[in-house]
Parts: sequence; C-alpha cells; structure tokens
Amino acid sequence: MPPMIDREICNACGICEDSCPLDVIYMDSATQDPVIRYPDECWHCGSCRQDCPLGAIRIVFPLQMMVPAGILPY
Amino acid sequence: MQEHSFNADMLIVGGGVAGLNAALSAAEKGASVIIMDKAVIERSGHTAGGIDHFGAFLNTGPEWDTRDAYLTYTVNSSRGATRPEVVERVYCDNLERAIVRFEKIGVPLHRPDGSYYRTRSYGQPGPWWINFNGKRLKPSLAAAVRKAGCTVLDRVVTADLLVTDGRVCGAVGFHIRSGEFYVVSAKAVTVATGGTNRLFTNPTGLSFNTWMCPANTGDGEAISFRAGAALANIEFLRMTVVPSGFAAPGLNALVGMGAKLINGLGEEFMSRYHPEGMNSPRYKLVEAVITELKARRGPVYMDCRHLDSEALNHLVTTLSYDKDTFGDFLAQKGIDLRNDLLEVAPSEGMQGGPNEVCGSGIRIDENCAATLPGLFAAGNCSDQNRSLHMAVTSGIHAGVGAIAFAENNGAAPRPSRTQVTDIRDRIFAVMKGGGQTSWKAFEDSLQRIITESLGPTRSAWSFKLASERLDRLAGWIDTVSCPTFHDLCRFQELYNIMTVARCMLAAASYRTESRFDLCHNRTDFPNQDDENWLGQVNVRKGDDGGPECRFVSVTYPEQEGGA
Repeated sequence: MPPMIDREICNACGICEDSCPLDVIYMDSATQDPVIRYPDECWHCGSCRQDCPLGAIRIVFPLQMMVPAGILPY
Repeated sequence: MQEHSFNADMLIVGGGVAGLNAALSAAEKGASVIIMDKAVIERSGHTAGGIDHFGAFLNTGPEWDTRDAYLTYTVNSSRGATRPEVVERVYCDNLERAIVRFEKIGVPLHRPDGSYYRTRSYGQPGPWWINFNGKRLKPSLAAAVRKAGCTVLDRVVTADLLVTDGRVCGAVGFHIRSGEFYVVSAKAVTVATGGTNRLFTNPTGLSFNTWMCPANTGDGEAISFRAGAALANIEFLRMTVVPSGFAAPGLNALVGMGAKLINGLGEEFMSRYHPEGMNSPRYKLVEAVITELKARRGPVYMDCRHLDSEALNHLVTTLSYDKDTFGDFLAQKGIDLRNDLLEVAPSEGMQGGPNEVCGSGIRIDENCAATLPGLFAAGNCSDQNRSLHMAVTSGIHAGVGAIAFAENNGAAPRPSRTQVTDIRDRIFAVMKGGGQTSWKAFEDSLQRIITESLGPTRSAWSFKLASERLDRLAGWIDTVSCPTFHDLCRFQELYNIMTVARCMLAAASYRTESRFDLCHNRTDFPNQDDENWLGQVNVRKGDDGGPECRFVSVTYPEQEGGA
C-alpha cells in the first residue's frame, strides 16, 4: 500500500499532497496529517518521496506486485 | 456549483512535458496562456517522477547521426503510419531548440564535462538515446512556466472542447476536489494529454500499475474526436516488456546497456524472432516474450549478469531516473541485477503508435494543427509524436503554430451557452446519487471487453463481440454513481477511455490487413497489404455521433525496407 508516511518524522507540510499526480494523498482537514486516501490509485512514481523535505516517505509495494500471477491476460 | 470564466490567447489542455513546452513558446511571443491540468503541473503526466532518455541525432560525423538517417529509420520502421514531412517540420526542425530549452530550465541533457552518454536500441542505426537525469524535469519546467506568467489551473480536468461556427474556441472543465466549473475561451487550444492507459486489463489486477501514467486516459483524443477532429493511427496496440508485477518503464535502458532476454530453459531466444536479436523493435521483443510464455518455456528473464561493473552502475542509476522506485522494487524482491535474473513479462496494452518515433492520436499537420480550425495537438496524444524527444519538439512547435493561428484569425467566437450547459449537465448527471454501479466496476468491464478484442490477436469476430458489449456497457452509464468529485474525475476519464475504445475498435475493424506485428495482428487478415493499406486510417465523428473511418494513403520517397 504505497506510499507509507512515517508520522514521527512528518511535519505535515503538505508538499506530498501536491506532488502526487494521481490525487492519492490528502491533508486531512481535521488532523492536518497527510492521508493516503486512494491507495489503489498509486502509480508508484516516487514523486511524493522525492519531494518530501524530511525523508518521511517510503514506497512499499503490495502483494499483487511482489507475487505476480496471470501474466498473460489474453 | 460555482462557475469561473477565463479568457486567453491560448488554452493548453494537459500540463505535461509537451503542454508546458507549448506554454513557454507562446509566452515567449508575448501571448497570454492558460494551462488546465488534472494534477499540479510540478508533478503531473508521464514524466512526473522522472525520465532518463531523449532521442536525438547530433550531427557528430557518422552517417547514422544525421537528419537523413533519422528520417530514413522513421519511414522504414513506421511505413503506413508516419508522415515524414510532418516529422521533419515538427521534430527535426525543432531539435536544436529543444536541446537548448533543457539547458535553459536547468536540466541539461549533457554531462558536467559537456559530453553526451548515448545508447542504442530497437533497431535504430546508432546510439540516438541521450541518457540524462530527468528526475527534476517537471518541477523545473513548471517553475519556468509560472515565471513566464502563464495562468495555471491545477487540478482542473477538461471535460470537453467548445466549438462555435466550426472553430474551437475554448474548453470547459471542473475542479477534481471542489467540483467548481471552469469555462475558458481562447483564440487557439493546444491539446497535450498523452496516450490512453487503463484501457486494457492490468496483469496484476491493479489498474493503476501501468507502464505510462495512469492519469493519461486519452482525454485529448476523446475531447478532440467529440469536437469533430480526426484521429489517426488509433488502431495500433502498444505494449512493452516490464519487470513481472511492476509496469515500470526501463526496457530501453536495459536493452541499451546490453541486457539479454532468456527463457526458463536458459536460452537466449531473441535471434529466433528477429535478425537483430536484442536490438529488434520493441513490439518484436514483446511478441517473442509472449510466444515463449505461451510455449511454456517461461518464466522469461532479463539477464544483466554479464555486464561489467561500470555498465551495471550506469544501468541501475538510469533505471532510477526513468522510474524513481525501480530500485525499491528490486530491493523488496531481493534482486541484485549484478547476480540475479530479473523476471519480466508483457505489460498491459495501451493505445499508441508502432514505435518510439511514430505516435497515435489526433491527426496533425506540419504546424501541429488538428483538422479542426483553432485546435492544435502535441506530444503523445498526436498521431505523429511519441517519446520525450517528440513531446518537447512538438510542444515547442504547437505553441508557435497556435499563436500564429490566434494572431491571423483574431478573436475567438463566443462559446455557445447552450453547449456549455449541455456539457455541464452531462458531467454532473452521475453526481445525483442512487446509482448502483461504481466507476471501478465500470472500468473493470470496459477493460475486459477491450483486452479480449483489441489485444495482440484480433479479428472481425472479436470486433463484433466487443462492439455489442460496448453498446450494452454504454447503457449502464446512467447507473454509475460518483460520491466525490475525485470519483467524478475518474468517471470522466472512463468516459474518455470509452470514446477512444470505440475509435480504436472502428479503425482496427476497418483496416483489413495486419501491420507492425502485434500492434495490429488480425487472424482473419494475417498479411501486410501495402497495395491497399499503405497509409493511415482517419477516424472522425459521423452523423450518428459514432466513429467513421476513411483511408488516407501516404506516399513514401523510397519503397525499400520495412519494419
């Protein structure tokens, strides 16, 4: 479920929200923390991680990508 | 819902590499420019996270490094899809300007000592690919665009173009979070939205795990088609070879550095499929991998173990420029390219031209003008452009062409209020609630229909089946429900993917031959037929609103060669 944000390091600057080309990351209006609202729509492009000034973001690939099957869908 | 109105000399739909280059060209000429992008332009489009290669001839002496060699290769590899007079004006004439622009925005293509690192792949006669660090290409371009004074409407998805008296005079869109409605009128519109992804089923079941950016959903092609412009080369399927499970780009880097494909028996098999082996066209590599897998000689691997440490270090670095998370993927799978084989597989399909030098999409002329007055197209959504090198050059060229049109044709006609209201009603209809279908379910069905019918094997039978199923699927549009504007954006994307799917189906069905191997491989017409099909199928909206096809032949300077 990429990306994973380390809340201990994150200072909620909001840069990652704008970096995401897929509108996956939202700053929660109540807590002001970044939330991965649409994890299934991540492209794993790493834009958020590159732009995070504190290095708080890791990319963790999901099961379907680590153990792929059905590689010929036609 | 609140409505915002804007006015400019040029509107650009899509703020990726092509769109932002168009914006800079127009702004340099003093024109007012508005850019609408679904994301934030600092990190939007296919190069959001980075890119690592730019194709160029540099006139350094050898014959392969010339304009003539580039054009000869383009014609020989793309006969029936390329129009060399357009490639010459759009790409060749703007190449120097493009290289200078990289320098100007602070992302030079050369190394610190001024030299270029160049690699060769895909049957090209020499090392045309300049390897460079493009990880900050988008942020740098975006900074230049904002500094040039362009108006940027971030997170606004374009829903349709506005046409008055046969001239494109603007577009409407909505904010993907607030739903606010935007009406932009402009003297000229440049569309630069990339290719069509999320059109085919993804092998991992994750629809957004695509080779090219999953936000590139054929928006430009779809809105241009609905406005009345012609599309061309739209029948061709584009695929690549990716690490099994991860649709990352990188094949070019791997092949360019000397990696080899081997099958489960340890055999290097490419020479069985093409005389140039690993230097064969991309679609040949894909076809060979599919054949090996179907013959139960899989899994198929990319083998880098024989490369020397310098080449390996360069490869690992350049792969991370092209896909920032490539290294993370390898690390999480426990793969070290120095010692381990990398399992690879065919990617999902997409709509695209046959190769790295020929595109698919909105038909353009040598000024990047579409067939509808006031409309221009650049980058991967236009029928002659593909890859970063043509995104930059066509962006530069479209910006200049569109502004010249604006100057010569004066004020745009006023957008029709009826048209604005009609589009608005269409967009927001699915927000009413009560529908039982999610956009995700709709997407899943659409992808299954297209994967069955427009994949690497096609026939009249598969087209007929798909056509009937798409009609039935269209009947479900009214049942889709979008709880948020983010969902509405996704549904708008699907609406566009559906438009492209219909055009692709019509063109594939119309072209009764096979061409470029798996790009258009008909079991009922297995041979290439240059006598009747050396040219492009143009698809345009017919009287019933559906796609209507027409063949436009292309005459080539020489008749030798072939793909």
